[in-house]
Amino acid sequence: MDATTVLAAISGNIATVGYGLAAIGPAIGVGIVVGKTIEGVARQPELAGRLQVLMYIGIAFTEALAFIGIAVGFIFV
Amino acid sequence: MTSTTPQPNQPTSVPVLRRILVYGAFLALGIMVVGAIVGGLVAGVSGVVSALVGTLMAVVFMGITAGSILLANRFAGTEAAIGAFFGIVMGGWLLKFVVFLALMFLLRGQPWIQPVVLLLSIIAGVVGSLVVDVVVVMKSRMPYASDVTLPKAPSDG
Repeated sequence: MDATTVLAAISGNIATVGYGLAAIGPAIGVGIVVGKTIEGVARQPELAGRLQVLMYIGIAFTEALAFIGIAVGFIFV
Repeated sequence: MTSTTPQPNQPTSVPVLRRILVYGAFLALGIMVVGAIVGGLVAGVSGVVSALVGTLMAVVFMGITAGSILLANRFAGTEAAIGAFFGIVMGGWLLKFVVFLALMFLLRGQPWIQPVVLLLSIIAGVVGSLVVDVVVVMKSRMPYASDVTLPKAPSDG
């Protein structure tokens, strides 16, 4: 039995997996950013404003990856 | 610099986020003009349309985060402040990506879309709005302990 018979045949476009991969990283990243912001605000509620801005910057950089990743996946399929 | 003082009930991030949105809109206009010219030279009418659509998508979707934080800050000081804040911000994030995916599905394969121009203008919009975010935050001045209300001085009477 050769390798092609052992492995199941995959039909469709492998780039579909890329959409999922492009979502996983930023999802984890944004989860960490928001979770840490909650921790910070819980410790020092008077810093909420500053922490919100820092959280915003963190989310913006993380989601930029997601946008570019998803767009690249769609465009080059 | 933060020139406008926020409402007493609101966190100090409000003016910064508002400025991010305004500057981001100006940047979007600039990128749209440049992108439309370049796209038009490279790919004709479909290039112009793709550049406009791509830049608009990037800037609007990046701006939704700041917009959702601004919206959620209206609940500051109420009972449900924390829940409403993270519900609105994270809900907005989720909604944004669902809409983004749906838009990409719709736009893919349209005859009036030039994929490479669309992608490049999305990347330009995303990177540009990141630059605006960083510049605005670096130039903003926020007091360290601003969201706290000091207790009133005890009266002498």
